[in-house]
Amino acid sequence: MRRPVLATASPTTGIARTLRALLIPSLALLAALLAGAVVMILSGDDPMAAYGGLFKGAFGDGKGWARTIRKTIPFVLTGLSVALAFKVSLFNIGASGQFVMGSVFAVAVGINFEGLPVYVHLPLALIAGIAGGLLWGAIPGILKVYTGAHEVIVTIMLNYVASLLGGWTVYAGGTQGQTPGPLWDRTAGAISETPDVLHSAQIPWLFGPPYRVHYGVFLALAAAILVWWLIFKTPLGFEMRTVGHNMRAARYAGIRVNFTIILTMALAGGLAGLAGAIETLGLNHKFAPEFGGAVGFDGITVALLGQTHPIGVLLAAFMFGALDGGAATMQFESGVPADIIQIIQALVLAFVAAPLIIRLIFRLRPQSQEDAGSAVSTSWGGT
Amino acid sequence: MSKNGPVSAFHRLRRRYGNTMIVALALVVMAVLVNVTPLKEQTWLRVLFGISALNFTLRATVPLVLGALSGILCERSGIINIGIEGMMLAGAFAGFVAKTSTNHWPLAASLIFSVVAAVAVGGLMGAVHALFSIRFRMDQIISGTVIIILALGTTSYLYNRDAIAEGKFSSIPIPGLAHIPVIGPVLFDNPPITYLALIMVVVVHLGLFYTRWGLRTRAVGEHPRAADTVGINVNRYRYINTSLGGMLAGLAGAFLVLEAVGQFQEGMTAGRGFISLAAMIFGNWNPVGALGAATLFGYTQALQNELLLAGVTQVPRQFISMLPYVVTIVAVSGLVGRVRPPAAEGKVYETEGSA
Amino acid sequence: MKASRPVKLLVFLTALALLLAACPAPMPATDSGSGAAGTAGDMAGEFKVGLVTDVGRVNDRSFNQSAWEGVVAAAEALGLAEDDIKYIETQDAKDYADNMQQFIDAGYNVIVSVGFALGDATTAAAQENPDVFFIGVDQFQGEAMSNLAGLIFNEDHSGYLAGVLAGSLSRTGTIAAVLGTDLVPPVVAFNEGYIAGAKSVNADINVISTYHPGEISQAFVDPEWGAATAKQALDQGADVIFGAGGITGNGALQEIATADGAGETVFCIGVDTDQWNTVPAAQPCLVSSAMKLITPGVVELVTMASDGEFPGGNYFGDADLAPFHDFDDMIAQELKDLLEETKAGLIDGSIDTGYGN
Repeated sequence: MRRPVLATASPTTGIARTLRALLIPSLALLAALLAGAVVMILSGDDPMAAYGGLFKGAFGDGKGWARTIRKTIPFVLTGLSVALAFKVSLFNIGASGQFVMGSVFAVAVGINFEGLPVYVHLPLALIAGIAGGLLWGAIPGILKVYTGAHEVIVTIMLNYVASLLGGWTVYAGGTQGQTPGPLWDRTAGAISETPDVLHSAQIPWLFGPPYRVHYGVFLALAAAILVWWLIFKTPLGFEMRTVGHNMRAARYAGIRVNFTIILTMALAGGLAGLAGAIETLGLNHKFAPEFGGAVGFDGITVALLGQTHPIGVLLAAFMFGALDGGAATMQFESGVPADIIQIIQALVLAFVAAPLIIRLIFRLRPQSQEDAGSAVSTSWGGT
Repeated sequence: MSKNGPVSAFHRLRRRYGNTMIVALALVVMAVLVNVTPLKEQTWLRVLFGISALNFTLRATVPLVLGALSGILCERSGIINIGIEGMMLAGAFAGFVAKTSTNHWPLAASLIFSVVAAVAVGGLMGAVHALFSIRFRMDQIISGTVIIILALGTTSYLYNRDAIAEGKFSSIPIPGLAHIPVIGPVLFDNPPITYLALIMVVVVHLGLFYTRWGLRTRAVGEHPRAADTVGINVNRYRYINTSLGGMLAGLAGAFLVLEAVGQFQEGMTAGRGFISLAAMIFGNWNPVGALGAATLFGYTQALQNELLLAGVTQVPRQFISMLPYVVTIVAVSGLVGRVRPPAAEGKVYETEGSA
Repeated sequence: MKASRPVKLLVFLTALALLLAACPAPMPATDSGSGAAGTAGDMAGEFKVGLVTDVGRVNDRSFNQSAWEGVVAAAEALGLAEDDIKYIETQDAKDYADNMQQFIDAGYNVIVSVGFALGDATTAAAQENPDVFFIGVDQFQGEAMSNLAGLIFNEDHSGYLAGVLAGSLSRTGTIAAVLGTDLVPPVVAFNEGYIAGAKSVNADINVISTYHPGEISQAFVDPEWGAATAKQALDQGADVIFGAGGITGNGALQEIATADGAGETVFCIGVDTDQWNTVPAAQPCLVSSAMKLITPGVVELVTMASDGEFPGGNYFGDADLAPFHDFDDMIAQELKDLLEETKAGLIDGSIDTGYGN
């Protein structure tokens, strides 16, 4: 039964390797859809109608593609955020809080500074968003290095704090005499929300309403390439991977482990913050408490599904975007509740992470390489 | 292994928790004084030590401590469990379905049956987690994530919102003890799962540190190779402990549905599984430590509500609501310092020569 | 592969167990999508009504459900076919616009959007689609548009009536309110009215009220917080508790229903609909509910849209106190008279709840 966990790769060409790498995820998606169909049949729903609606909603027409792309953007960035941290054996559960802080910082710049030209205002707002996330990501890194506080606890707690802090900035003022929050829209009456982001800070449309696809899609792509380059092509990336692989060895090798940990958490936070900034400046054009960071939690799933590789994250995010983009049409056409999407997502993740299951289902021959599962940090890394 | 013997375990415990014990004792004395003497006229003291605050604390603590114990059982044997939230939710849902299908039974029988169902499904989720992690060599963090998403999706998809659970556990005062002022109504006048949770802390603690099973579990989690060498079946211990852990998480779910609320709600665990995770790490993978951490967390939640109810401050409510989370961060950074997880956690164990 | 058979079996059993777990309860999904039982009448196929929920479920025993019941009732009255009414349950606040667009693309005539959070998206959609009628439940309209009606309520009025009731019933001099979030104005209106109403009958009354401490996505779906907070209020001596906040509030009501003295010395008051019917578990303590009647409001507006008499701007639905049901004998006649007077005073404006000033 034993297969070496870290088998040496047989020399194969790039294309063959790519195809092989795609085989398991594709089969995993297929198996998850089949399992989802079984669940639907057993509960009296029509899987054909549901999947028909899902596909139509995600890719059926221009609006479908627009929805899918629009929803893919934040998944890419939060997925990269979590994936980057995983490379250093850090578990960033905090993407959702970093997303919220990014939104808040971006909107704070976006609603102020009237009269700035767009080529100054928009970058400034985006940078503010990144800075918000960076700050929120750096805190757990700093605390981990200097006090030993575990990043999993700290990021979970900071998610709650960010959500409350974000809520406070737009708070319309309670009934017990509290002062309203600093970003609250004074014309909104009792409603807790910011004013609209000024035009000069909005990310321009690529396709306007009803498509509402904005140029943020290129920012997300650029971020993915940048992260890939950082991890695999720079000395810093090498240090990150070394720390992630074996912290003690890295320390002996003279790598600045503490610096790497803080920097990685900050960068991971910056990516999630950028996601928040893009959503705010490109799509919502304001911040309100209901624009929370749920997408940050999905980032964990996307990162794991993409095996923490930037390209994998792109593909996983696209899959999530399509599933989410088609969910409403699926409900509309078939009446199947959108929860089925979540079940499918969980199953895809399970099958990708455990190729053995897929091999059992499809009766494939075992391949030592893939069966090792994905290489994520597998401990609390409590140094 | 002599370092982990029962006697030194006791000493370590006393050394580690000695100060905490003194603080806890002082708090109990304070609570009694505030509630039985004219001190209760002081609004701030009442906010800090009132019976309502103490009751709220215990109630909030129960699911957290059960979740933390669930994590401890899994992780002490070397299996990371971030899926507590999902196991809790699955248990809650199973308890709800069992309760709604046995509404026509006598209340006590129906409730007990539902608890059993919740615990069983929780255990099943634990077994699935172990299966994924051990048999299918899935990364344990991924497996935990899968458990969470799967539980969220499945319970929401299957939840019949027209089903109504009739009745829930009511409190059982313990004769004699329940009449002690302050301590009685807070500690000895509770519904059954609350008692059970507190008993489980003692049971898991004794089990882990004073039995052969516990010694072997810790050996499997710390040094599986050595454990294997002396003839312990590593993976069997992991299967058993992860399933037991799942059962405890299922019990936490049963608490929410059958004792606290009386109904199910989608996503009703509301992050309690994650807070449990924090309590487990904060308590340094130790049952008593986890109880302390969970209690601290429950207390800060109670305090936040007390402050809002008493209306004693003009601070925006969001900042009061941050209290539990900020206190936890401060405590984790300042008080505990570096914690140490079981050494072999997260690693698949391959038996020698099993190829 | 020796271990594979038991392993497969375990996987299979797990799946089976999860599925069987749902079987005693009939599947919720089978009847989703459309609910009108009515046979196709003269309007069938020509007039379609769609509903977009706030984040949550169409059968949430709260405002989404009330609005959907309004659509179903209107469809029956108008003789629409089963396929002519549909809903989409929103998963994420970012999807409001997309979900409405589904109905616009499918040629629906009326779109009901439920909840104050959908206000902006509804306004934008109404501007882009002048031929479609929009009904925004709980959405206050600043500037009137001819194809958009905001169905709103004087929640402070029914809250005030609940406060008068609570203040009169209380023996301990302390009453409480367990509320959703103050990020949503209708909830604040309920509470402000409640406090003012209680003070009007007993100036010294101690009202302890608290909003859910979490954020908006949690505030209405956290029954355990509602229950634990209700218990806390009871511990602090409150004997009438107003539970206002969707499922969170329902948790509070059920907790009080199982408390010592429920229905004798301790009472609860529900919210939105007559919760005697929607939360039977609360019946032991439920004296009344502070209602905002969403269902009839939606029926009226949908009917007006089909008649071509759609009123743009704000449309006020009824806000009133629910019947006392089993507690009818326990409520003194003077109190009933007082409530009637108060209601008349609120309507003619001689009583001011103080909310929104």
